[in-house]
Amino acid sequence: MAKYIMQRILAMLVTLFIIVTIGFMVIRLMPGGIFDDAVDMSYEQRAALEAKYNLDKPIPVQYAMFLKGLVLEGDWGTSLKMYVNVPVWDVIKTKIPVTLYINFFSLLISLPLGIVLGIVAAIRKNTMTDYLISFLVVIFISVPSFIFATLLQYFVAFKAGLFPIIYDATAVGWDKFYCLTLPILALSLGPIARVTRYLRAELAETINSDFMLLAKTKGLTERQATINHGIRNSMLPLMNIIVPMFTSIMGGSLVIETIFSIPGMGGIMVKSINAPDYTVTLATLIFYSVVSLVTVLIVDLSYGIVDPRVRMGGKK
Amino acid sequence: MAKFYSSDVPEYKVDKEQFEFVQLKGDIADAAFQDKPIGFFKDAMLRFCRSKVSIVAFVGIVVILFMAIFMPMTSRWNYNDQDLNRINLPPKMPVLENVGILDGTRWLTNRRVDSLEDTTRYPEGSILKVINYRKVQGVDMCDIKVDYYKYCGLEDGTYFWMGTDYLGRDLWVRMWRGARVSLAIAFISVVCNVFIGIVYGSIAGYYGGKIDMIMMRITEIIGAFPEIVVVTLFILFFGTGMLSIILCLVVQNWIGTARMIRSQFYRYKGSEYVLAARTLGVKDMALIFRHILPNSIGPIITRAMIAIPGAIFTESFLAYIGLGIRAPESSIGVLLSQGQKIMQQYPNQVFFPAVVISLLMIAFNMLSNGLRDAFDPTQRGA
Repeated sequence: MAKYIMQRILAMLVTLFIIVTIGFMVIRLMPGGIFDDAVDMSYEQRAALEAKYNLDKPIPVQYAMFLKGLVLEGDWGTSLKMYVNVPVWDVIKTKIPVTLYINFFSLLISLPLGIVLGIVAAIRKNTMTDYLISFLVVIFISVPSFIFATLLQYFVAFKAGLFPIIYDATAVGWDKFYCLTLPILALSLGPIARVTRYLRAELAETINSDFMLLAKTKGLTERQATINHGIRNSMLPLMNIIVPMFTSIMGGSLVIETIFSIPGMGGIMVKSINAPDYTVTLATLIFYSVVSLVTVLIVDLSYGIVDPRVRMGGKK
Repeated sequence: MAKFYSSDVPEYKVDKEQFEFVQLKGDIADAAFQDKPIGFFKDAMLRFCRSKVSIVAFVGIVVILFMAIFMPMTSRWNYNDQDLNRINLPPKMPVLENVGILDGTRWLTNRRVDSLEDTTRYPEGSILKVINYRKVQGVDMCDIKVDYYKYCGLEDGTYFWMGTDYLGRDLWVRMWRGARVSLAIAFISVVCNVFIGIVYGSIAGYYGGKIDMIMMRITEIIGAFPEIVVVTLFILFFGTGMLSIILCLVVQNWIGTARMIRSQFYRYKGSEYVLAARTLGVKDMALIFRHILPNSIGPIITRAMIAIPGAIFTESFLAYIGLGIRAPESSIGVLLSQGQKIMQQYPNQVFFPAVVISLLMIAFNMLSNGLRDAFDPTQRGA
């Protein structure tokens, strides 16, 4: 087990290294320099600036220096344009918690809600309840989260005035959650629908299986059989969709942060791309890579815990 | 001791005359099928047509496609006709204006009462209603409802069905033009995905062994990159444009198709008919494309249909984070992200594209559900 985990972490680090390398090269090879639009800058000034940020050296040398700084001193470089001379880490360290906050909350909300709705739909299959849930599921799966965000922002926040239109950065505790309710809601609708649809299909199939018949034959009530045998067995495949779900929440949160002006990683990434501010862009890309790689890792490792039949690291 | 059959044993001897034909005179019921045989596609078609939802979705998609292709051609305006005299107009439609919705009016608040007579500011007949008279610091103020088209000095009979944007461009034309661009991006990228996926998956699945191992490791490596990062890097590197958006939609999405095709090959390549064909000397290429691949035509079509809304989503997503299609060109995502910024003043600019993209996504999802049920009834409702 420990060996398997080590292997997976090693593989993850290799992937991360490749991503960082490619990311660095792509961002540095991008057409157009950072100081291109500063027309009033003299040649000497520009050369001095480029020398200061090591931009005049060959790209492999820059990359080596970047890696050395990152690994040995945790130094991400300094922001070049958005917050001049502020270390990148100081720029992003305040943004990471907000982004993780809305992403994890929406995952936390959508899993139980989706599971409950899916169970209800499967037990009441082919009734009005099931049809209603399935209808809503199709709509919530299809319509992108940023459309929901826009609609919620307009009707609930602007017209009805129930929630703040944009995020208030000074809020803490309960007020913070109140500010972030609409973004979290907009992010959660799609995942809820996805979990519901998946669980409904799985459970509907499990209910018809032989061991459920056996459970009922030996005298369990419908409820006991469903809860103890049906739901448990249909939960296992749910692990499969958590990873794609979480990455899609991350993607959605990028846009939703800009819509609700939440000062998170999404907003800083968009701004740094448009600035352009290479060091910040690279840092945000690394952040998103790390988060999604870690999610994949956690889900892979938890397969063995959720389903003991999956042997860790054994032969296939 | 057991007795074995032999025609020499007297008790097994049967004369020829003792035989009689079972069915010489009776009607033969199963001599020939009365109906025409139903092929795979016809079967799927029958099942598809039975579901009303799929038909509605199909019709919806056809209508949107039709509008996207022909609407930009029939309009008076080009998608990039700018006119600063008519910026941010409210929507106005010929029939609905009589009912009171989409009639091109707008409330203007905090206007000075004494300026209402000024025909250079408020042309003849542009003010429809005045309410809310009040005095603010000794000046008479009021709110007025104006016919915004007259207010901007446009001639009668000018209709912008969905209003105009901040450069005075007709949103109706821009929206259908945008739908056209978005759909084109989606279709082209999906065709590329399917093509690459088929070729790659077929080779890996058919040859198997070491080739399969190496090819699948490659897909795992590509698949390990987070999608947001890949898409962003791709656009950063190749610049914003239709081609690079299509490319970045292809770069990871073909993997799913390839895996699906590969598993289909594993399922069928050991079956007897493939063995028979191979014994008859059929070449590899013919085996792959003529004998095995057609088995997976159903899943391929279903998958392609599911991928289209995904592609439209990614395109809009890129537009939102400022990496969308380049400026004068329009796409649904560009319209949405532009409209979103001024939503509180001009909700119509975001509302109509939002409706169209939602309808499009719902229709494609419904259609792909219907197609999946039609091609593979065992998966119904999954």
